[in-house]
Amino acid sequence: MRYLAVAIAIAAGLIVLISYFVPALAMVQSVLLNWAIILAGMAALVGVFNLISVHGDKVRRREKGNIYSAVLLVSLFASFIFGLALGPDQPYIRLLVNTVIVPVETALMALLSVTLLYASIRLLRRRTDVMSIVFLLTAVLMLAASATLPFGEILPLNNLIRPWIQQVLALGGARGILIGVALGTLTTGLRVLFGADRPYGDK
Amino acid sequence: MSLLDLITGIAAFLFTLFIFSYLIGDNPLFRLAVYIFVGVSAGYVAAVAFRQVLWPDLLFPLLTGSVAQKALLVMPLILSALLLTKVSPRLTSLGMPAMALLVGVSAAVAVGGAVTGTLLPQAGATINLFDTHAAASVPQLAQMMFNGAWILAGVTTTLVYFHFGARTTRDGSARRFGFIEFLAFIGSIFLAITLGVLFAGVYSAALTALIDRFHFFGTLFGLH
Repeated sequence: MRYLAVAIAIAAGLIVLISYFVPALAMVQSVLLNWAIILAGMAALVGVFNLISVHGDKVRRREKGNIYSAVLLVSLFASFIFGLALGPDQPYIRLLVNTVIVPVETALMALLSVTLLYASIRLLRRRTDVMSIVFLLTAVLMLAASATLPFGEILPLNNLIRPWIQQVLALGGARGILIGVALGTLTTGLRVLFGADRPYGDK
Repeated sequence: MSLLDLITGIAAFLFTLFIFSYLIGDNPLFRLAVYIFVGVSAGYVAAVAFRQVLWPDLLFPLLTGSVAQKALLVMPLILSALLLTKVSPRLTSLGMPAMALLVGVSAAVAVGGAVTGTLLPQAGATINLFDTHAAASVPQLAQMMFNGAWILAGVTTTLVYFHFGARTTRDGSARRFGFIEFLAFIGSIFLAITLGVLFAGVYSAALTALIDRFHFFGTLFGLH
């Protein structure tokens, strides 16, 4: 089974990759991409089944916190059945999303404003080096320049310093990070395509 | 305001309050809200995956499509069934071929995307800053060159920062070459500035979310 899996991964990957340069293979690429999309959809369902299995076991064994697992299962089945029956774009399902998912996500994001502030204070106390100081100084400058202050905007900061930091210094760093990430993706992808890495194995 | 709006408004208010209760520490109300959130989100994702991917792309064509369409979908049907065995720890190895196809195709798409979507455009954008024909006047050219030099320095030193090749010293410790170490230090300054700008953006977004929640409270209780 392991050798079959490696052969499938290498063959499918190489066909899709070669199709970028050989237009005659575009049809095969389209079929393989469609299969991958179907499998990604099925993988999402497998993930949800796994969640049900883990929390179902917790409820069955009456482990600590099993009441939360029971609540999770009830809410999961309710939203799945309604979503399946009515469709995800139906107004009642949108209402469910706007009542549960949007408020919780927004509130968690709002909590971040407190935790980030706390984390930045801890950073200065735990690690006072050049990188930390430059990082916090830049963050404070950017926030001060974008904030609506009672005495009006700080002109050189808002008109000159902020755009230069954002569009020149930060752009250089961000571009370096992006190119680094792309090189990392390229290397990892090629390792998978040549069978050096096999992240689909059972171990 | 209709009764349904009132009920959903109160529910949203309670969920927000339960999440905010985390400020006083982990507590049952926070956990309740998070577990409901995870349950509803997972159920919604499963419904979307079925209604918008599996049904229109696999099951519906298998039931109503032409023979050619059905023949093309036999393989993903078998692989989907094999993928389902991943739920059981005893049968998990049967799902390997399906995972292999998914990983192989994803790796190829990632490689293509990294080259055509990031590497070439980002390198091109850095090079184009030194295009002398793009400037309309000498001061503009000077400004372009000045900014371009800073950006190029940022790109190269940031990449050098992530270079971890080192030589072993006499005492057995690993050290980078002095010049590389110097460039990496400059790169760390650029990285700190970039992360500071990103942090400010995330913090602004978090503050906007906080203001949105307070605005929601005000609207619900008719304060504005």
